[in-house]
Amino acid sequence: MSRKAVIECKHVSKTFYTLSGDHLVVDDLNFTVYENEFVVLFGPGQCGKTTVLNLITGLELPTKGEIIVAGEKVTGPSPKRGMVYQTTNLFMWYNVMKNVEFGPSVRGISKKERRKKAQHYIDLVGLTGFEKHYPVQLSGGMQQRVGIARAYCNEPDIICMDEPFGHLDAQTRYLMEKEVERISSQEKRTVVFVTNNVEEAIYLADRIILLRNLPTSVKKEYTVDLPRPRNYVSPEFLALREEITRDMDPTL
Amino acid sequence: MAEPIVKVRNLTKSFGDLLVLDDVSFDVQKGEFLCIVGPTGCGKTTFLNSLTKLYNIDSGSITINGKDIDLRQNNIAYIFQEYSAMEWLTVEQNIMYGLKIKHVDKDIIRQRVENVMEIVGLTKYRNFYPRQLSASMLQRVVIARAFAVEPELLLMDEPYGQLDLQLKYHLEDELIKLWQKTGTTVIFITHNIEEAVYLSDRILVLTNKPTKIKKSIPNNLPRPRKISDPEFVKLRNEVTDLIKWW
Amino acid sequence: MKKSSIKQKAGTILLPAVGFVAILVIWWLLVSFTRIGLLLPTPLEVLKRFIYFLGNPIGKAFTLPMHLLISLRRVLTGFCIASVAGIIVGISMGRFKPIEAIVRPIFELVRPIPGVAWIPLAIVWFGIGETAKTFIIFMGGFVNIVVNTYAGARHVDERLMGVAYMLGASKIQAFFRVVLPSCVPYIFAGMQVGLSTCWMAVLAAEMVSSFEGVGWVIIAGQDINDMAQIFVGIIAIAVMGLLLAAFMRFMERILCRWRERGA
Ligand SMILES: Nc1ncnc2c1ncn2[C@@H]1O[C@H](COP(=O)(O)OP(=O)(O)OP(=O)(O)O)[C@@H](O)[C@H]1O
Ligand SMILES: Nc1ncnc2c1ncn2[C@@H]1O[C@H](COP(=O)(O)OP(=O)(O)OP(=O)(O)O)[C@@H](O)[C@H]1O
Ligand SMILES: [Mg+2]
Ligand SMILES: [Mg+2]
Repeated sequence: MSRKAVIECKHVSKTFYTLSGDHLVVDDLNFTVYENEFVVLFGPGQCGKTTVLNLITGLELPTKGEIIVAGEKVTGPSPKRGMVYQTTNLFMWYNVMKNVEFGPSVRGISKKERRKKAQHYIDLVGLTGFEKHYPVQLSGGMQQRVGIARAYCNEPDIICMDEPFGHLDAQTRYLMEKEVERISSQEKRTVVFVTNNVEEAIYLADRIILLRNLPTSVKKEYTVDLPRPRNYVSPEFLALREEITRDMDPTL
Repeated sequence: MAEPIVKVRNLTKSFGDLLVLDDVSFDVQKGEFLCIVGPTGCGKTTFLNSLTKLYNIDSGSITINGKDIDLRQNNIAYIFQEYSAMEWLTVEQNIMYGLKIKHVDKDIIRQRVENVMEIVGLTKYRNFYPRQLSASMLQRVVIARAFAVEPELLLMDEPYGQLDLQLKYHLEDELIKLWQKTGTTVIFITHNIEEAVYLSDRILVLTNKPTKIKKSIPNNLPRPRKISDPEFVKLRNEVTDLIKWW
Repeated sequence: MKKSSIKQKAGTILLPAVGFVAILVIWWLLVSFTRIGLLLPTPLEVLKRFIYFLGNPIGKAFTLPMHLLISLRRVLTGFCIASVAGIIVGISMGRFKPIEAIVRPIFELVRPIPGVAWIPLAIVWFGIGETAKTFIIFMGGFVNIVVNTYAGARHVDERLMGVAYMLGASKIQAFFRVVLPSCVPYIFAGMQVGLSTCWMAVLAAEMVSSFEGVGWVIIAGQDINDMAQIFVGIIAIAVMGLLLAAFMRFMERILCRWRERGA
């Protein structure tokens, strides 16, 4: 295939050294993500999905091996790689608007322009009217949506999303899934998406990477070439769902 | 079932100009398993926080056993939506915490803590600190802490949001077991309709802000329930239709 | 009006007022009907004197408000220097490992020394002028501000720093937009304690060597055995301290608005 590889994980291992002993979490992980691809990392709970994303974004560094993004080795966080967090990581001292426009603002984009862009994403995630609210004044689901808007507003080339819809109700979740699909197909971005929901994985992914339980590595890959938008109850969808569920390691 | 354990009457609550709960009234019977579903930001957490007196209410009343709530006297466990594990305590100490402040007998503490750690699958991680855990593990610490105190009233705010399917099923069944064993009353907030139908005796469906009760749906499906059972699917679809807001 | 907020008002205004009135009554009873009257003026006498001093000089030149202003100026000078220095030292200690390694041991040594212990040294070093007083006040506030700021700087959430870098912030931007705001509540806690220790330090300094200021008013009262004057001084201190604390709380509410959950 002549596709351009943007993320290459090469023999990556990660050990956390704690007082209660060494904790090997990622063990010889290898995978490649291509340009404009939507990859879903899927695995049992606590298997190390967040850790893998932290390694890609450079928040953690591998103990062994290396991660190459767009030809460069990852040595720390960079605005080219954005992240939406599983647990909310908002700047509590900024209101919604200031949180969302943080990226453009530190990069010196004019107030008018960045306000417009931020407003666009705030509207998109359905928080219109809450621009001046501080995070403590928002519900759990609303905070999570601020995190999504903040990451999108920075327009990174690669966007990592760690179970971003965990706290949303079914409808909002459904809308956000459609929105993510639309943005990534329209604006062409490389997305690495973590979820523990099989349906969400199959609905969104070009490719699903199934991870082993702790210490994690790639167990299997599935290419999903069902036509979009996908139908949750089509026979192919259900068959794939069945297959993945069967292949997955038990959590406990 | 005679006297309801929780009585909510004309509860109204706003933040500044934002009216969140608008004249809400309902009862929760003793030993009942109540699920509350509603759109994001409609005021579910606000309700639990008002019930536990973390927030002041504008008007109306909430009583427990006919009296104002007293957090020290009523044996209540509250699983917050955000992570509320204590950072400076290990997994094991976190789980023990609730029992210790209630002065439970040492042997019972030991036994219960071991038991719930096993249930949530954290025995191996007993000496880890919260910062060293994954999101789902953190969530399980808090669940274990609540289970361990065997409360009279158990409040759970989206406790299973971060868990994968297997764990969720497992912990749903464990919750049912605990509920049946101890006869506790449970108020369970969730976004997952399947979960609500699987667990509850009754489902309270809320509207968008300003929030009212859209419908209270009794759920008398026999237990243990099966998610593929046609009756189950029917109820699930009924609830789903109710909360569609587009 | 909402029921709960009426209840709150009763808590914040009514109950403290009850306490004050009780103390005044007990004071008045004791002075009028026991031999303590030989040692204490009645509340009314103190009040009369207080009002008198508002317009008439105590000692040679200054009226009570002037004495207060002089003390206040000293406190604010020392306190401002202590705040700026304390915040800089605290944050650099919390954020830069080498600085922490060098400064912390020295600081730990200085820390247990109470502010007033510096008075003799300050007089030897700087004479009895304003510099010495500023120094004593500075030492009074500095320690608390450093301790708290340092704690805050060490508790900055590293994940949030990562978020800032990921969104494109430079080191300096991350400092001003993440480190500093997340330290603000800690800094304020330090400044609140610091301000009251500064206020104590100024009185001590003025009692030892000064010809004006509230500390001097009290000491002068002692010299001429004027009980009422001593009380006027003490009450002036208390009221001023209260106002300063209220001002700090007000500032905190403005700067830390984002922490208010609203109940
Ligand atoms: N800083 C750390 N120190 C020690 N161990 C850690 C640290 N961070 C993560 N771990 C361990 O790494 C493992 C994987 O954690 P991670 O957060 O990557 O899981 P996850 O797959 O994202 O799980 P979840 O679905 O629960 O979010 C866990 O066992 C956790 O205890
Ligand atoms: N402390 C607060 N101050 C001001 N507004 C608040 C506060 N807490 C909640 N709100 C507002 O009240 C509304 C309801 O919030 P609540 O947290 O109860 O929602 P929720 O139903 O729990 O939603 P979710 O499912 O997203 O957790 C939201 O619009 C929120 O902005
Ligand atoms: Mg995770
Ligand atoms: Mg909530």
